[in-house]
Amino acid sequence: MTSTTSGDTGVAVPSWELAAREFAAWRAGDPDALDRLVRVLTPVLWHVVRAYGLDRESAEDVVQTTWLALVRNVESVRDPRAVMRWATTTARREAWRISRAGRREDVAEPETLDTALPPVDGPDKTVLAADTARILWRAFADLPERCRRLLRVIAFDDRPDYATLSAELGVPVGSIGPTRGRCLDKLRGRLAADPDWSGAA
Amino acid sequence: MTDDVTLLRDVHDMWEALDPAPADLADRILFTLALENVEHELMRLHESLAPVGARGPETAATMTFAAESLTVMVTVSDAGPRQRRIDGWIAPGAALRVELRTARGVQETVADTDGRFAFAALPAGLMQIMIHPTAGAALPLHRAVATPPVQL
Repeated sequence: MTSTTSGDTGVAVPSWELAAREFAAWRAGDPDALDRLVRVLTPVLWHVVRAYGLDRESAEDVVQTTWLALVRNVESVRDPRAVMRWATTTARREAWRISRAGRREDVAEPETLDTALPPVDGPDKTVLAADTARILWRAFADLPERCRRLLRVIAFDDRPDYATLSAELGVPVGSIGPTRGRCLDKLRGRLAADPDWSGAA
Repeated sequence: MTDDVTLLRDVHDMWEALDPAPADLADRILFTLALENVEHELMRLHESLAPVGARGPETAATMTFAAESLTVMVTVSDAGPRQRRIDGWIAPGAALRVELRTARGVQETVADTDGRFAFAALPAGLMQIMIHPTAGAALPLHRAVATPPVQL
């Protein structure tokens, strides 16, 4: 899930809550809070948009457009706790529109991802993380597209708007919860069958 | 068996490792948002000459930006480790107020009557130039013009 460890307490604070806090502070007149809000939410929006298969340039455009829309329609976010959902829903709607218009790339293949990963040159923490990521990717890439998209979205936005998600995934609202469960089970099953995973995780 | 929350956290971390957001995306968004409250015309990058004469660490790049009523030519050169210098030339020449925005803050100067201006000792990174309507300048501007954010 999306969360960041807060400095004072060491307790993980969900992204939507961090976003709500900064949004409220910004609306109350703290100009620096917008800076923090952008830094909290931009990575979330990036992953949500890339889940729709947009190439990097189109994905950046959608994220930029989403922020402009938020700043221009700030009055429409009445409750700060809704700001993350507002932003992710706006971004997904735009990403979905563009992906259907054809500006998308195929999901990255493991071969190309290998070159994107940091080189394996020492047993430090990041290399271990990259190894784990590679093994997890092997299992993830096998999943149906609907599962890949849904899991990437909810890995970054644990409170997505189900109504828009249901239209985009082509499943009824009531089926998103069960679909999510089935997708996670499939991923778990593939990982359980991979001897490298039990060693890495 | 990995529970749902842990597995989703693994998926989260996997995507952060495999396909992270561009490192400067949030900075570029903040640049764009900062201009939201100032009515302005965004200039187009007309021409960009890559560093000429790649001799050692010395680099200079020239960019030309165009708006409806003016063009501005900007030469970026190295002024030390991670330091840049900007020499600009507004055409037609006019003593206009020039604002330069970087991640570290805003600097201001006024071009001379030929339209020349300079900023020394700038941090490497994103920057954006904004030229403002200025009383007494030979060129009357209706509104500010701004370059898109560019990497120094």
